[in-house]
Amino acid sequence: MLTVWAAEAGLFVLVVAALLAERPLALTATVAAVAAALALLRLHPGLRRTLSAAFAAHPRAAWFGGAVLALLLPVALRHSPYWTFVATMALLYVTIGQGLNFQIGSAGVINLAGAAFAGLGGYTVGLLTVTAGVPPALALLAGPVVAAAVGALLFVPILKTRGHYLALVTIAFVFIFNILVNNLEFTGGPQGIKNIPTLRLGGHAFTTPLSVLGLTLPYHANFYYAALAMAAVATLAVWRLHNSWLGLALNTLRDDEIAARCSGVPVARQKLIAFTVGNVVIGLGGAFYAVMVGFVSPPDFDFGYSLAMLSVIILGGVDSIGGIVLGACLLIPLPERFRFLHEYRLLLYGIVIVLMLLFRPGGLWPASVRRYGAGGAVSPR
Amino acid sequence: MPAPEIVLQQAFNGLMLGVMYALIAVGFTLFFGVLDVIHFSHGDIFMLGAFAGLALLGLWGAAGLAAAPVVLPLTFAGAMLVTGLVGVAAERACVKPLARSAPLMTLLATLSLGLVIREAILIFYPRGADPKPFPALLPAGGFDVAGVFVRYENLAILGIGFGAMIAVDLVINRTRLGAAIRAVAQDPDAAQMMGVNLDRTVDWTFFIGSALAAIAGILNGLYYSEIHFIMGIMGGVIGFSAAAIGGLGNVYGAILGGLLFGVLQTMAAAFIPRGSEFRDVVAFAVVMLFLIFRPTGILGEKSVERV
Repeated sequence: MLTVWAAEAGLFVLVVAALLAERPLALTATVAAVAAALALLRLHPGLRRTLSAAFAAHPRAAWFGGAVLALLLPVALRHSPYWTFVATMALLYVTIGQGLNFQIGSAGVINLAGAAFAGLGGYTVGLLTVTAGVPPALALLAGPVVAAAVGALLFVPILKTRGHYLALVTIAFVFIFNILVNNLEFTGGPQGIKNIPTLRLGGHAFTTPLSVLGLTLPYHANFYYAALAMAAVATLAVWRLHNSWLGLALNTLRDDEIAARCSGVPVARQKLIAFTVGNVVIGLGGAFYAVMVGFVSPPDFDFGYSLAMLSVIILGGVDSIGGIVLGACLLIPLPERFRFLHEYRLLLYGIVIVLMLLFRPGGLWPASVRRYGAGGAVSPR
Repeated sequence: MPAPEIVLQQAFNGLMLGVMYALIAVGFTLFFGVLDVIHFSHGDIFMLGAFAGLALLGLWGAAGLAAAPVVLPLTFAGAMLVTGLVGVAAERACVKPLARSAPLMTLLATLSLGLVIREAILIFYPRGADPKPFPALLPAGGFDVAGVFVRYENLAILGIGFGAMIAVDLVINRTRLGAAIRAVAQDPDAAQMMGVNLDRTVDWTFFIGSALAAIAGILNGLYYSEIHFIMGIMGGVIGFSAAAIGGLGNVYGAILGGLLFGVLQTMAAAFIPRGSEFRDVVAFAVVMLFLIFRPTGILGEKSVERV
């Protein structure tokens, strides 16, 4: 149990150091420490075995330790609102990534319109709060509903087309969404919707600093904790679904639709369920984004962001719940860390994805094979 | 109801766009034919073609060449060579190695590769972020036929575009290479058993398709007299749409799809209120409807599904 906590604490220290190191000396030391830790894990199989055995033996302790450290992160980052914000964005991408992965990874329903569904959630919040005066918390819940409802427009194409053609339909959808919000009057055109009111919880507005245990955290910490709760709920929900009969059926129809149909899987219904569940989660992420930054505009939800969401999945691991968390936590902060490469950021980003796909197509944390029966880790519920 | 001349005029204008789209779409469809993949960086190769053309024009200018009849063919040839080689490099590096994995993988790899090409132009081309003026090299002026004003420039674009398509058609239907391409498209394994060099055929297909994108890129520059590094995104999406409405793998379908898309866009821009803003919405909505009601395109996809 102590091994688990020591490993988690070590990781936490490394992450905080990697985020906060500013001076060249500190930065060099951090990079060296990260490299040393990775090399040690890579070259020392005994250590790897000890760690994985410890984590397998004490899953509850591992979850508890991880949760405590996740709650402590804003405290460690309290002097840097910027990095608190980046950490929140990473959690947002965890949420969106889980939704998108449920569609693409689990069910094989290719969706390149992730940005459009996030945008539907975000614009719903903007329109409801600013134009109709609905409280933000209520609008936040309406976002996912609208995203899922508009997603129903794509039901017919999803059932009638597959592979490349479905990819094209969803690409066309994200372009149509972007042109429409850019040109319609009620969505505010290119300026988008500004001054979205912030969330309140029991009289505490999310734009005021947070005080806990005598410490004052920047107001970004409010959103961090809300995003942490959202990401945790989304991940848990998707994880339960993935381990259910539905998840198994989705994997089956992804791998071979005809065989799944022959085995009695209701292919059409399952695909639509997967697509809708995914859109709810993606729409929630988009709605949260709108409440957090306080405005929405068309460039926040263009095709490029669909690709960024997809990259989270590819980097982490297709159909791997843990992989999505890892992918989002790497892909969002890293480019911010290497801002001195700012100009070359997207170039490197593209190269990294191509290299990943060529040499590690399963992602950094590949999905494990389902094991059922005696001694199996999961059994469908 | 608008006057018939206006409709005809718009249709003619749409034909200009359509020719460029068709040239891009033929590339998409050829690649799909031989490898069953969507090579999404093709849109950015189209953009690269336009920039290669512009760079070459600067080079010829520096060398003292100015006469359009000399400069134009040289520019086309040079840009086609550049994109052709880049296309083959792209195929070798990240299309063929992934051709047997899930469609999502190649789609994403080539989308990312397109991002790399786009960013490379943005960063490494001098002042790459700005729209670049493209010199007017085609003859000015025009004449009137039945109320439709025809520019010489437009005729030249149509001539070059259709000339290129006819040349590709001849290569595919009348040469040994073309026979090999058709054989690989039908059945790669059987083609190899009959002595077709698979790798070389795929390389040539990518060379031809990417060279066509360069023609489309330069024509695009000549038509709009301006090029920009982000034009590849829309070019790629439209080219892919055109190939899909025509039926992936079918060259004539791609040409038809490209022309249809161009005409649809200009018609929507002209006859729908605020159409210039919503023309792409209309065009993409039609693409979606097409894929729903004719999921394999107008002329049908080349293959059947095997179980």
